[in-house]
Amino acid sequence: MSILITTVEIFVLIYSDNYMSHDEGYLRFFAFMSLFNTSMLGLVTSLNLIQIYIFLELVGMCSYLLISFWFTRPAAANACQKAFVTNRIGDFGLLLGILGFYWIMGSFEFQDLFEIFNNLIYNNEVHFLFVTLCASLLFAGAVAKSAQFPLHVWLPDAMEGPTPISTLIHAATMVAAGIFLVACLLPLFIVIPYIMNLISLIGIITVLLGATLALAQKDIKRGLAYSTMSQLGYMMLALGMGSYRAALFHLITHAYSKALLFLATKSIIHSMEAIVGYSPEKRQNMVFMGGLRKHVPITQIAFLVGTLSLCGIPPLACFWSKDEILSDSWLYSPIFAIIAWSTAGLTAFYMFRIYLLTFEGHLNVHFQKYSGKKSSSFYSIKLWGKEKQKIINRNFRLFPLLTMNNNEQPYTIGGKKEALITITNFGYKKAFSYPHELDNIMLFPMLILLLFTLFVGAIAIPFNQEGMHLDILSKLLTPSINLLHQNSNDFEDSYQFFKNVTFSVSIACFRIFTTFFLYKPFYSSLQN
Amino acid sequence: NYFPWLTIIVFLPISAGSLLFFLPHKGNKLIKWYTICICIFELLLTTYAFCYHFRLDDPLIQLAEDYKWINFFDFYWRLGIDGLSIGPILLTGFITTLVTLAAWPVTRDSRLFHFLMLAMYSGQIGSFSSRDLLLFFIMWEFELIPVYLLLSMWGGKKRLYSATKFILYTAGGSVFLLIGVLGLGLYGSNEPTLNFETLANQSYPVALEIIFYIGFLIALAVKSPIIPLHTWLPDTHGEAHYSTCMLLARILLKMGAYGLVRINMELLPHAHSIFSPWLIIVGTMQIIYAASTSLGQRNLKKRIAYSSVSHMGFIIIGIGSITDTGLNGAILQIISHGFIGAALFFLAGTSYDRMRLVYLDEMGGMAVSIPKIFTMFSILSMASLALPGMSGFVAELIVFFGIITSQKYFLKPKILITFVMAIGMILTPIYSLSMSRQMFYGYKLFNAPSSYFFYSGPRELFVSISIFLP
Repeated sequence: MSILITTVEIFVLIYSDNYMSHDEGYLRFFAFMSLFNTSMLGLVTSLNLIQIYIFLELVGMCSYLLISFWFTRPAAANACQKAFVTNRIGDFGLLLGILGFYWIMGSFEFQDLFEIFNNLIYNNEVHFLFVTLCASLLFAGAVAKSAQFPLHVWLPDAMEGPTPISTLIHAATMVAAGIFLVACLLPLFIVIPYIMNLISLIGIITVLLGATLALAQKDIKRGLAYSTMSQLGYMMLALGMGSYRAALFHLITHAYSKALLFLATKSIIHSMEAIVGYSPEKRQNMVFMGGLRKHVPITQIAFLVGTLSLCGIPPLACFWSKDEILSDSWLYSPIFAIIAWSTAGLTAFYMFRIYLLTFEGHLNVHFQKYSGKKSSSFYSIKLWGKEKQKIINRNFRLFPLLTMNNNEQPYTIGGKKEALITITNFGYKKAFSYPHELDNIMLFPMLILLLFTLFVGAIAIPFNQEGMHLDILSKLLTPSINLLHQNSNDFEDSYQFFKNVTFSVSIACFRIFTTFFLYKPFYSSLQN
Repeated sequence: NYFPWLTIIVFLPISAGSLLFFLPHKGNKLIKWYTICICIFELLLTTYAFCYHFRLDDPLIQLAEDYKWINFFDFYWRLGIDGLSIGPILLTGFITTLVTLAAWPVTRDSRLFHFLMLAMYSGQIGSFSSRDLLLFFIMWEFELIPVYLLLSMWGGKKRLYSATKFILYTAGGSVFLLIGVLGLGLYGSNEPTLNFETLANQSYPVALEIIFYIGFLIALAVKSPIIPLHTWLPDTHGEAHYSTCMLLARILLKMGAYGLVRINMELLPHAHSIFSPWLIIVGTMQIIYAASTSLGQRNLKKRIAYSSVSHMGFIIIGIGSITDTGLNGAILQIISHGFIGAALFFLAGTSYDRMRLVYLDEMGGMAVSIPKIFTMFSILSMASLALPGMSGFVAELIVFFGIITSQKYFLKPKILITFVMAIGMILTPIYSLSMSRQMFYGYKLFNAPSSYFFYSGPRELFVSISIFLP
């Protein structure tokens, strides 16, 4: 777990060094990032409920500070508050759960908790309802942190922050904190079947919700946010089923793939900035993208690998983990399994939708027929001078380094002091600029992550029961309890394994093809 | 080793303050420097006295002094401190020094202003260190007049109204205090004994205790705001100059809590144990009520005032839970909230000084122009909502533990109370963050004056709070 965090951290730091180099708030950004790193590492190395609580809160605070990094945008201001309050609600539940358990057990240490708890359960001395309540409260903390179903609302809005933040916090690490919490407390939860059911239920709801919401997103980062939510649901589902190893494995693989995807997204956005300006409504809007394959090939490869990995295509990383979860879900409950499998297909679908919209086809900016939600804004790009306030984007193109503290788009009228005429001249030039590739420094971490994504799946190839990461985990906690593997040895039988595998892969491929069919003709029809 | 430390400490500010009037009227600088020097000297004196003469393990009263003052009443001038009072005294010293520093921009009638500050300083230390009930009462009353004057002369728009309200409320409460004091003193013996120690060992019939308790409670409830007797607080805080606010909110409120602990817990234990469930309930309600009301305030200082009320709720709960941990948590919260609240008020005041905007609607987007204040404010908001790593968290956590481990109550009410307290925990970030948000985020262009920064005060406050880690 620590390896995961530190490696992702390093890459994001390198990346954001370049990204933020022209930003005024550079210092602040790195201060917050370091604080976040500290909290995260503290979180995964704590053996104590109170310590975990402390670090969870700190992580929440760092997330607040980082989301609000460009705080002059009102959307960011609202988003960060939402994130913090939602996290606080979770922490409230967590605190109550901690206190409840303290009251019963009289201790905070994990070891003591588990021992005493097991004794109490076996001797039937404890009030079951109360214990269930406390455990569900503890779980509530994880729900908020990992953006599970009721408390997931902060995650898409959290994309207001800079993309390295999104990478770090909302793809790889902080949302993992919740999963980590549940995994730590899993020996506690296992004895209470209601809680396990609750966990898997919430997990599956999140999976479905995230996937369906991701289908309808226009914004790249939001789409990825929902996809994160969905994958987190998978992890939670796995935890609820008791297959602790699969959940953590998926956590690791997903973290790498998502980090890769987010960094690639950043490079895309960066290239789009050159065209459509600085406002995130435009530059993250997938509608305007398309056909970037020619312009940003390396990013495209990275994105493709990330997407394939996330969809569960062998031999990339997420395939192994997701497959483990999916096959475990068959053993747990058929309904969940069906939902999980179909959502895996949905995953493939929306991921490839994103990929195709971004990279294939032709650059949509040149098309005039797009009638999106803000049609006026679109027109303003092509037909300069129609919408006055959106022209301001042009300013930022011209003076990227001279803007005041990097605010995206001042929503007041104060900025439109410029005369329109000067702008239109520049507008002409812009139509012929192309999205450009990233600097090398930003490419480098992306490539490393790419490699990781390819090969991290090798950690726990199920031909051998013990994955490498199991050792790490068992150092931190008591040996894992893998409920389902005790019951069935489904990986000993290679044939069974391949059957499962092919089924899941075929679902994924089927969806991919569906996506192709749906989106390809969309483009070809628009070719003037 | 009988050096009258405490008397000196108590009397130094006010006597030095009276010297203020002899200073030349022209040139505020001299006055300010003089006051600050006095404060710092006093603080150093206090610290020295405490460091060298205070043994931490000794549970008894230390540095006790005992002079006969008014023979007729058998009224002793008794001062002494123990572990309970040492915290607030140090807090007082520290905060008052900073307050004097913060009051730098006050230029109107600065002699009187600083004199009143120093007078308050003495009064506070006196009340925290008095071992005699009547002395306590006198010091208590002594606080009122400076605050009234400070409020009415240097306040905001509605200052006369708030000042009058303040004085009526607190004086009304003090009547009950006087009755209680006299009753306690005169009871059970022919001569009035007002000594704390003697009184502590006395036992009263339960009914009488209850009556006394209620009397004291009303008086103390006004001071350390316990709903529903808190309504003077937002008005006063909203209108006072921010240094007064700081003093008020930090010290005076803590005097109320201190009084609760001292008088009610030490002297009237039976009644206390009867009343403590009610205290806890009231405290819980207070947290939530104040947090929700804070959301609806348009005035920035009123918002912070309500947050003070909300935090005081924690203190009350800590006092009401009859456990050592709860009491510890309450005391810690007293100190930590003293720091945090003072700092918040100070920042609000300085931003007001620069922007001249009181209502939150008009503010917005200030972070660009006053970045340092903004940073401090964020950090303090975090501290105020009990972020781990800051003192508030530890305090609240200990109070939580106090409730949980208290043997007196049954499970169900405890669960309910804990639950409700924790809801307060959710509400706190809502209002404090939205306060930050409204003030600092967003992008409003308006005439921002030069953002020069007043270095010493906030820096010290910041250092003090950050140092105050668990």
